[in-house]
Amino acid sequence: MNEEQNLAQLSGRRVMRRLLSYLKYFKKKVIITFIVLLIATGADVLGPIVMKVFIDDYLTPRVFPVQPLILLGALFIGLYAISALFNYYQVISFQKIALNIIQIMRVEVFSKVQHLGLRFFDQTPGGSLVSRITNDTETIKDLYVTVLSTIVNSTIMMIGIFAGMFFLDARLALICFILMPFLLVLMWVYRTLSSKVYRVTRVKLSQLNAKLNESLQGMSMIQAMRQQKRLRREFGKINNDHKKALLKSVRLNSLMLRSAVYSVYLIGLMMILSFFGIQSFDNAVKIGVLYAFINYLDRFFDPINQIMQQLTIFQQAMVSAERVFGLLDDQRMAPVQRGDVNPAVQEGRVEFRNVTFAYDGKNPVLKNISFTANPGETIALVGHTGSGKSSIINLLMRFYPIEQGTVFIDGQPLTAFSDGELRKRIGLVLQDSFMFVGDVADNIRLSHEKLTDEQVRKAAEFVQADHFITKLPKQYHEPVGERGATFSSGQRQLLSFARTMAQDPKILVLDEATASVDTETEEAIQTALSKMRKGRTTIAIAHRLSTIQDADQILVLHRGEIVERGTHQELLQKGGLYFNMYQLQHGKGAGEVSSAQ
Amino acid sequence: MRIFIDLWWFFKQERLKYSFGVIFLMLSSFLSMIPPYVVGILVDDIRTRSLTPLTLGKWIAFLVIIGIIYYFTGYIWRQLIFGSSIILANQLRNDLYKHFTKLSPNFFQKRRIGDLMAHATNDINAVQGAAGEGILTLFDSITLGGMVIVTMSVFISWKLTLITLLPMPIMVILTMYYGSLLHKRFGKAQAAFSDLNDKVQENVSGVRVIKAFGEEDAQITMFRKASQDVVNKNIAVAKVDSLFDPTITFIVAFCYFLALIFGSVYVVGGSMTLGGLTSFTLYLGQLVWPMLAFGFLFNIVERGSASYDRIRRLLAIKPEITDQKGASDQVPSGSIDFSIRSFRYPGSDSDALTDIRFQVNQGQTLGIVGKTGAGKTTLLRLLLREFDIKDGQISIGGTAIQAVTLDALRSAIGYVPQDHILFSATIAENIAFAKPEASQEEVERVAKLASIHEDILHFKEGYETVVGERGVTLSGGQKQRISIARALLADPELLIFDDSLSAVDARTEVSILHALKHERRNKTTLISAHRLSAVEHADLIIVMGDGKIIERGTHEDLIQAEGWYAEMYAHQQLESLVSEGGTKA
Repeated sequence: MNEEQNLAQLSGRRVMRRLLSYLKYFKKKVIITFIVLLIATGADVLGPIVMKVFIDDYLTPRVFPVQPLILLGALFIGLYAISALFNYYQVISFQKIALNIIQIMRVEVFSKVQHLGLRFFDQTPGGSLVSRITNDTETIKDLYVTVLSTIVNSTIMMIGIFAGMFFLDARLALICFILMPFLLVLMWVYRTLSSKVYRVTRVKLSQLNAKLNESLQGMSMIQAMRQQKRLRREFGKINNDHKKALLKSVRLNSLMLRSAVYSVYLIGLMMILSFFGIQSFDNAVKIGVLYAFINYLDRFFDPINQIMQQLTIFQQAMVSAERVFGLLDDQRMAPVQRGDVNPAVQEGRVEFRNVTFAYDGKNPVLKNISFTANPGETIALVGHTGSGKSSIINLLMRFYPIEQGTVFIDGQPLTAFSDGELRKRIGLVLQDSFMFVGDVADNIRLSHEKLTDEQVRKAAEFVQADHFITKLPKQYHEPVGERGATFSSGQRQLLSFARTMAQDPKILVLDEATASVDTETEEAIQTALSKMRKGRTTIAIAHRLSTIQDADQILVLHRGEIVERGTHQELLQKGGLYFNMYQLQHGKGAGEVSSAQ
Repeated sequence: MRIFIDLWWFFKQERLKYSFGVIFLMLSSFLSMIPPYVVGILVDDIRTRSLTPLTLGKWIAFLVIIGIIYYFTGYIWRQLIFGSSIILANQLRNDLYKHFTKLSPNFFQKRRIGDLMAHATNDINAVQGAAGEGILTLFDSITLGGMVIVTMSVFISWKLTLITLLPMPIMVILTMYYGSLLHKRFGKAQAAFSDLNDKVQENVSGVRVIKAFGEEDAQITMFRKASQDVVNKNIAVAKVDSLFDPTITFIVAFCYFLALIFGSVYVVGGSMTLGGLTSFTLYLGQLVWPMLAFGFLFNIVERGSASYDRIRRLLAIKPEITDQKGASDQVPSGSIDFSIRSFRYPGSDSDALTDIRFQVNQGQTLGIVGKTGAGKTTLLRLLLREFDIKDGQISIGGTAIQAVTLDALRSAIGYVPQDHILFSATIAENIAFAKPEASQEEVERVAKLASIHEDILHFKEGYETVVGERGVTLSGGQKQRISIARALLADPELLIFDDSLSAVDARTEVSILHALKHERRNKTTLISAHRLSAVEHADLIIVMGDGKIIERGTHEDLIQAEGWYAEMYAHQQLESLVSEGGTKA
């Protein structure tokens, strides 16, 4: 065995221990369920013994006293009634425990993800994150619900049957015990082989699905480029590989599952028959014991079959568990409050002092940035993509920890504020106006239940979103679908403005949209923006001339540095960019440009 | 059971496998009758102490032989029957895929991808189940069940068989009932899970908004609720699922009880031996599976039927755009003529385009501009024949586009779409998508033309870098340039850019346009764009508004006209200066 395998096994054991540690939340329930399982199994195992008593004590000697026989019959039916009822309770109880464990685990993972920093989200593809929270925990659910409960059930049943056998005839029971190594070897070989085959099948299946998904999404391209035949060939090949993998698993299953287990059963049967047969050469044999043994043997193999069928899921679940625990242990947390001063945002003065920042810790995207926005002022950030505009916003929102320099709000370092205070007082409007599934009012109110319908309406009116909302069939209760697809991008912008205004923030952080929208909405957006800025400190990534011209200070960013700063007038006098703009406006004198002035 | 008739074509196609499969399955069933019978004989011999070592040895050897044969027959029928069902799934999947490649773009816009995927996965699995487990349960329940009952009645006692089997139908009915109940509840649990999935998806996509508004805790509460719903629905499933085993155990135990009571009566009466009774109880144990199989059969068949119907419905959908009778397969070439009186999308009640008439001579460049929703993309899609025009026509070199085959039309056109579709493959393979046999030199040449060569070299594995979900993530601009290179490689008569320069910066745009001019001398190019700089140099620019042409002419004409174009041009010049920051000033 090489080192790698050793390590894998070690980590497998650790994962298993951690998985089982969740049982601690349900200690009492687990114990009760386990006791019920023992009783049910006990009742199950006693059945053949009752049959044996009947055969040996009454049937063979042909004595039939009425009362004891009725009692025996009642006992037999009673035992199975108990077994059925207790088993039902036990199975459900195990499932409930398992499902509740998954609930705990899921909430734990989800909560963890909520408190991870944006750095984590930048580095993790969304699809795989979603899959960890849902699909991987679902696989672990299968582990608990089917695998663990099957293994516990089956093992207890097997132990019970052996106990019954020992009770009837210890020697024969020991002989039957010889079957165990056969079965264990069979299981081990099957597990080793099947986990390989199973993995290949899964890989092929996911390739198949990926190919299909991609083809469906890109069919217009495939057709436009006349590659249908080639893609059909490629798909056919993956489909064939998948078929081959499936056929392999069928072969393995036909070789090793039921047929093989049946063979071991026959061996057991032959051993029992020989044992009694050889005994009968010299002494009389208790037929009841023989009968009970055969009956036990018959039932012994069902649990085996069940365990073997679950083995493949087991492997998959361990991989999933490892991924989930990896996520739970992730260290890339969101920045949190330091100290317990709990200052409040009163005036809304924002100051960046010598801030240098790098997302990866190496290549700075902001270099020594310093500026102050006095209460009520507007700071416009301009510069091309990658100049560092968004990073300034990200830092002010405390999305990333700042390593060099400090951001102050009202003279207090950003890190001193509580999350609640920060989120309430700083309103962010993003270029991509994200909508949640729900209705219009939900999207403005979010989780702030305290906001009355009136306040929601006021916020919408303030940003002039009520014009289009009141035209909707259900107005404020108009349903919003996935990502707000039924609304135009302009309408989504207005809704996200309303969402921000409903919070009545002191500081406004704007990432203006560049997307072109129709004239009517554009006007509404312009008006809303200037109304929103009034009385609030605003830091804006500006694309709109109106925002830029009204700004108290314009910061021109280039490669993470502020290369030019000043008001509209000051910058004009510099004869740089603003001068050019001015010239252009007068030279062409075209509609929107001149009206913006 | 209709599904077996529906799938008859397949059973016929694989008749050898299925015939032998069923024969071996029946042989297996027959073989499994033997061990209990042997047990009965031996028990009687043991009881009467008439067993000799020789007879014992003979019987044991007999069992060994039966065991070996049984093992192989079991292997063979599984291979044949399950193997065939896998072949069926494989065939159906290929058929579906082939069908998808023939359907028109409109179809893919109407149907959700997830839904189509479900047909190719879940539905095919259900049909595969019907052709595999369905056949197994059908024959096992009938032949094995029949054989066991016949053996019990003929060799042991028909009266005892009748009495003992009385509770069995109850079990069949109950398990069938559980089965359908389980199916329903399972569906609900699935739906709850997919709802949870959607919520997590939303949460992850909206992470910035959630953080900005401090919505984390509210989201956790929401998640807890949705997840609890999944738990509750799964518990409802468990409540049914857990009924199977206890019900079966209890009813089978009751059968044993009946067998033992009444069997004893016959044993005492002398019409039966104790060995016979032992065999009888063993047979009884063997009857459980066929009875269950009978119940399963109905569920498998029901599901398979519904799924097969869905697949057939999908396969029956006809492509909307097909080759006309007698269409020529000559690749069209020459000037392009648009002459459309009106066009509306199927199912829409207003015209998307009206009175579109213009001509582009071979070798010229046409620019199409206008607001979002003005009809630019519609115009291009009509040229690609994604929809057919009823009122008017488009012709290339004097030939209507319907008069040539789709394949010929498509080979004349290179298309760079608005949303860049790349496939999970290497960059080189993506660029060579339309011409897989292209050499590395050709690929690099077009990559240079599309100003993406340098970017590609920066990737660790260069042209062999895998893109897509499992590969590197490209920026929007990089994707656009790769799809431009891809279209250029085919060197088509006619090249269409559907707003495909939107994500590249101004400098790159200039160099791509410059390269195009050189490369595509004597070839026609159509460019639709938001940014007017992309069409400035075009021989003809049409300005679209509300599905009509509102302005037309060269850049100079349009600037002088002082209309929408001129206004937009000035505005964009200004904004580009602003967003370029001080660098250009």
